[in-house]
Amino acid sequence: MLKINKLHKSYPIGDSSLHVLKGIDLSVESGEMVAIMGSSGSGKSTLLNIIGMLDEADEGEYILDNVPIKNLTEKKAAIYRNKFLGFIFQSFNLINYKNAIENVALPLYYQGLKRKERLEKGLFHLEKVGLKDWAHHLPNELSGGQKQRVAIARALAANPKLLLADEPTGALDTKTSYEIMEFIQSLNDEGKTILMVTHEEDIANMCKRIVRLKDGVIMEDTFVEQVRASQYV
Amino acid sequence: MFDRDLWSEIFNSIKKNKLRTFLTGFSVAWGIFILVLLLGSVKGLQNGFAKEFNDDASNSIFIFASTTTKPYGGFDAGRRIILKNKDIEYIKGSFEGSFEYISGRFNKFLPIKHNKEKATFPIRAVHPDHQFIEKTIINKGRFLTQQDLDSRAKVVVLGKKVVEELFKEEEALGNTVEINGYIYTVVGVFSDEGNEREERNVYVPITTFQMIYGNTDQLAQILLTYNPKFSLAEAINFSEVLEELFKRRLIIDPEDQGAIYLNNKAEQFSDVSNFTFILSIMSISIGVLILIAGIVGIGNILVFIIKERTKEIGIRKALGARPSQVIKLVILESVFITSIAGLGGMLFGSGLLALLGPLIDSPGFSNPSVDMLTIIIATIILVISGLLAGLIPAINAANVKPIVALRAD
Repeated sequence: MLKINKLHKSYPIGDSSLHVLKGIDLSVESGEMVAIMGSSGSGKSTLLNIIGMLDEADEGEYILDNVPIKNLTEKKAAIYRNKFLGFIFQSFNLINYKNAIENVALPLYYQGLKRKERLEKGLFHLEKVGLKDWAHHLPNELSGGQKQRVAIARALAANPKLLLADEPTGALDTKTSYEIMEFIQSLNDEGKTILMVTHEEDIANMCKRIVRLKDGVIMEDTFVEQVRASQYV
Repeated sequence: MFDRDLWSEIFNSIKKNKLRTFLTGFSVAWGIFILVLLLGSVKGLQNGFAKEFNDDASNSIFIFASTTTKPYGGFDAGRRIILKNKDIEYIKGSFEGSFEYISGRFNKFLPIKHNKEKATFPIRAVHPDHQFIEKTIINKGRFLTQQDLDSRAKVVVLGKKVVEELFKEEEALGNTVEINGYIYTVVGVFSDEGNEREERNVYVPITTFQMIYGNTDQLAQILLTYNPKFSLAEAINFSEVLEELFKRRLIIDPEDQGAIYLNNKAEQFSDVSNFTFILSIMSISIGVLILIAGIVGIGNILVFIIKERTKEIGIRKALGARPSQVIKLVILESVFITSIAGLGGMLFGSGLLALLGPLIDSPGFSNPSVDMLTIIIATIILVISGLLAGLIPAINAANVKPIVALRAD
């Protein structure tokens, strides 16, 4: 599904440069649920951004679904993102002047789907996250948990191969976090491959595999016994 | 371009951001409004000038005689130059094809009586051609004819104001007036486009007055119109030749500026056309400069808006928006706002002119208005302005890095 070899990335800071990723090797199979952990500055967000094609590596190989990702033009990156990836962000990143269903349908717009089809699919995914009745509400009329569920519905809308989540529960209270994690687990149960960045131990333990980063290298990569979120809800 | 979804995106973003749409549109609407008013005002000036000049035919040449200022040909300075009937015959004989109409003229101020009403008006003794040179408009009856001149008929053509004063409610045509004891029949009533002062004149056959007042063949002025097919240069050349020949004929020093004077409308007219042309160029430049200010304003607001929307654009890009789609979104939004706002300003401006224009009619400024061509050009300018205004912000937007835009805040 995803294969990374000797990935390097550094950022220029003034005259010197900061070496953030120092040779990462990682491979993820279809259907996995991986947590990437690490303290701030460990490079976990940078790794996620490169996987998400929001950033490009300086060196190394990245193959997603048998497609080598390199020398991307903006246009190509946009098409790949739209086709392969679904993003879930810590701060939800909903467009605040569009209502829930419009937000969910946006990736489909960029896929070139007709309006009717978009709204149908959008509603289907909203129903899946249990927010069908909230379809015509603006983001600021929704609670944090609801916003994140709309964002998840949006990430699912384009039927991506890989879901990328950047601290998906970072802005939520514990109870809501577990509700969201329960939902993400159910998506994984259905076969979705999920990669998430988190620094919360309990959230990471709800995944099936934990990759720990420190100073730009992988310190530990272990498969864990998944803790089901449903028992806390 | 005609993608319904793209437009609904644009309408959405306009609808959801009313204040910024208003701010953006207002500067353009204002620019176009001023441009329309400026162009309308120049048109008003042109109309005003045209009206002033409509008093007489625009291709007229007036020849006035005065006294010599230089001794010449054995004569002292200060000799009175007098134009005569035979001078007209001379022009008719020598310049066949160069002139269109020709008339002699001399003026007298005499009291005119009808029943108990009596008032003094300027009386012009003229040839029939005078009607066309002065652009006299006959309202009733007719102007003077060659027959009137041949028979030295005692007939008059009265100006509208003269009729109003002498005849009140009475019908003037076919009625009579008394001038210095002689009875004249009114054969026509006229008005004049130029001004009301013209309508206080009275026309009589020149032969009749030459006979009654001194049995002379003298004229005060000769009026003619040059061939309307003449170019400006030909017209000016014609009047120069005329002046030279008249000086030779009447034995005047060629350098004498005072003895005879030719007033050529062609020269004045060319001055005025130049003036209004320069004025319209100036107003278009000013209008365009104001418009540029409007465009810069829009560009400015759009750049700010893009900044404000960085996150949104980042989200769109993360969800798969291609740079070209982002550019299209921003530019079309800009074109749409400028076009609608500009159209509003244009409609408001031309509406105001259409409403007030016809009411404005003072000397030198009359009926300010805009024509179709101006409106079409302004529309094209608008669309281009929208494109220009949107260009830089659109490129900025396309360059937004989703990773920067999405950094958790």
